[in-house]
Amino acid sequence: MKRVLVYIDEEAVEDSLALLEIGRRLYGEQGFCAYALAAGGGSGEAGRRFDYVFRARSGALPNFEAAALARCIAALHQAYGFDVIVFPATHWGRMVAPRAAARLRAGLVADVTAVGSEGGEIWMARPAFSGRLLATVVCRGGGPVMLSVRPRVFTQRAPALKSAEFIDIDVPDTPAPGVRLIERREKPAVRDIRESAVLVAGGGGIARDFPLLERLAQALHGLVAASRQAVDLGSAPRAIQVGQSGKIVSPRLYVAIGISGASPHLAGIRNAEYVIAVNPDRQAPIGSLADIVVEGDGRAFVEGLLERLEAPRTQSHGGRG
Amino acid sequence: MKILCLLKPVPDVDQLRYDRARNVLVREQARLILNPEDATAAATALEIKRAVPDTYLETVSMAPRGARPHLEDLARRGVDQVTLISDLRYAGSDTWATSRVLARYLETRDYDCVFCGTHTLDGGTGQVPAQLAELLGLPVMVGITALAELDPRAGQAVVEVDGERALLRFAVALPAVLGFQYNPDRKLPYLRYADLNRDVSQQVVVLGNNALGLAETELGLRGSLTQVRRIEVDALETKTPLRLRADQEGLDTVCHWLEQKGFVQP
Ligand SMILES: Cc1cc2nc3c(=O)[nH]c(=O)nc-3n(C[C@H](O)[C@H](O)[C@H](O)COP(=O)(O)OP(=O)(O)OC[C@H]3O[C@@H](n4cnc5c(N)ncnc54)[C@H](O)[C@@H]3O)c2cc1C
Ligand SMILES: Nc1ncnc2c1ncn2[C@@H]1O[C@H](COP(=O)(O)O)[C@@H](O)[C@H]1O
Repeated sequence: MKRVLVYIDEEAVEDSLALLEIGRRLYGEQGFCAYALAAGGGSGEAGRRFDYVFRARSGALPNFEAAALARCIAALHQAYGFDVIVFPATHWGRMVAPRAAARLRAGLVADVTAVGSEGGEIWMARPAFSGRLLATVVCRGGGPVMLSVRPRVFTQRAPALKSAEFIDIDVPDTPAPGVRLIERREKPAVRDIRESAVLVAGGGGIARDFPLLERLAQALHGLVAASRQAVDLGSAPRAIQVGQSGKIVSPRLYVAIGISGASPHLAGIRNAEYVIAVNPDRQAPIGSLADIVVEGDGRAFVEGLLERLEAPRTQSHGGRG
Repeated sequence: MKILCLLKPVPDVDQLRYDRARNVLVREQARLILNPEDATAAATALEIKRAVPDTYLETVSMAPRGARPHLEDLARRGVDQVTLISDLRYAGSDTWATSRVLARYLETRDYDCVFCGTHTLDGGTGQVPAQLAELLGLPVMVGITALAELDPRAGQAVVEVDGERALLRFAVALPAVLGFQYNPDRKLPYLRYADLNRDVSQQVVVLGNNALGLAETELGLRGSLTQVRRIEVDALETKTPLRLRADQEGLDTVCHWLEQKGFVQP
């Protein structure tokens, strides 16, 4: 039986648990034993989906203790001999994974969006050059296959419910902890743009009119998103930034208003089903991904569209039904 | 204080062209730029050097020799030593092989802190900083949006990270590897006119594996733990959009389209 270890990022528990899907794609539902390392939290949730859940005996070992976590992973691998070790490609997953891989002298592939096996060898696909090309990569050497996986790329169909065996592990001795958390300020919770089927995104060309975008998003039952430029200008919070250094989204409809379509932005929207772009610049690269390009002023477009979308509704209250 | 800053020259992604007939990515014309996050790191280091003049700043790049003229400008911008690690045998290195080379060189240097980017534009794996830290036995933090304090005497740096759910502040024990996030406001200083053609050859050090002495089996493709099997450029496939104007007719068309696709009720 194959053994798959999933690293649970306590800041992104659901996204981490969903990585079980990797095991399923590679080995089939019954073909592997599922292990979770939930040292920092999330062990309860993991317990309902995995066969074994590792916890730290000495209490929570948070994500930022990357050096200690890497040692835990290496020690667990010595004891269990995993075939595959999966990390969520979150900020923390991507800090722990390379340390662990370096300890194990194992190949590590980052930001994977597809996996499979061919002739007994596991291959992984990942975007490179801001998503402008897709590389298929294999690991060499004897170590476990290690990968970090983009959150939300693999969706899990109805996860089977399990009742895991919990295993408390001792954290191997590490030289004096090098990283200490001294302050944590929660950010206001915003709805996750990755969960919306419709996104109305604004960029540098419409930075002053975000309230207007909010209305359009409401009319389309979607959420507002933003380019980096709009975020840097202070028009939108970082949490709704789309792109390479923001969120990778896959809505059914992406309306890009006043967004040029630089590569780092396009990297975030390649999986959108439909794209409507509004931009006075005919040459704007956003056009390369768009189904419709409206050449013109973003504000005029939104106002005109709102008139049309909001008007019929008021009429229907008038009895048209 | 001594800061080492890792800098990778990368092709400017926006200048890459896709040759549909040959199904290849044309990289030749793309000019080299400094990876933007690395430029943020270097600019931060130069600011520190301006504030604390006895700071010694060295940049370290593993790149083909062709990158030299590009890197030389860094010396003209105030970097004390520009190190280029270059060897034909390093071609094809993955992040592991790259980290090994960088680690081997760093072991020969003494420093208070290693600055770098969080990830690169071309590969974008973001693995080098943490792998390097593991090889050197140092703490690491990446995704840094602000450096609040860097105090070698107190042996710590205080950094800010814009996390998914919270703004976080960490104290990191020095020496450490600190990976910065791209910040468009933190740019490398302009070259002064007087410096444009200044001879900086004394400040540029080029070295290869003869100096570093890694075993042949540790180099390039052979020393890599991952291997690229196939590259697909389908991702560059472009759509042919319907082009409209933001006038009555264009808006009507958009509305109709939205209804047709079920995004609004007719
Ligand atoms: C390391 C790195 C990471 C990055 N990560 C991201 C990322 O995750 N996400 C991201 O978005 N960017 C990212 N960027 C930045 C990216 O390169 C671009 O700078 C950014 O996407 C530009 O945003 P923009 O198109 O909204 O703004 P601008 O470049 O300012 O473009 C504005 C657009 O609006 C149009 N416009 C002007 N007037 C109007 C009008 N009246 N109505 C409508 N349109 C109008 C213009 O024609 C133009 O196309 C990153 C850059 C780097 C270096
Ligand atoms: N060849 C290299 N030379 C110097 N620094 C590098 C090199 N490769 C990566 N780095 C550093 O490591 C960071 C992350 O790179 P990567 O892991 O390749 O995405 C970069 O932002 C650089 O600071």
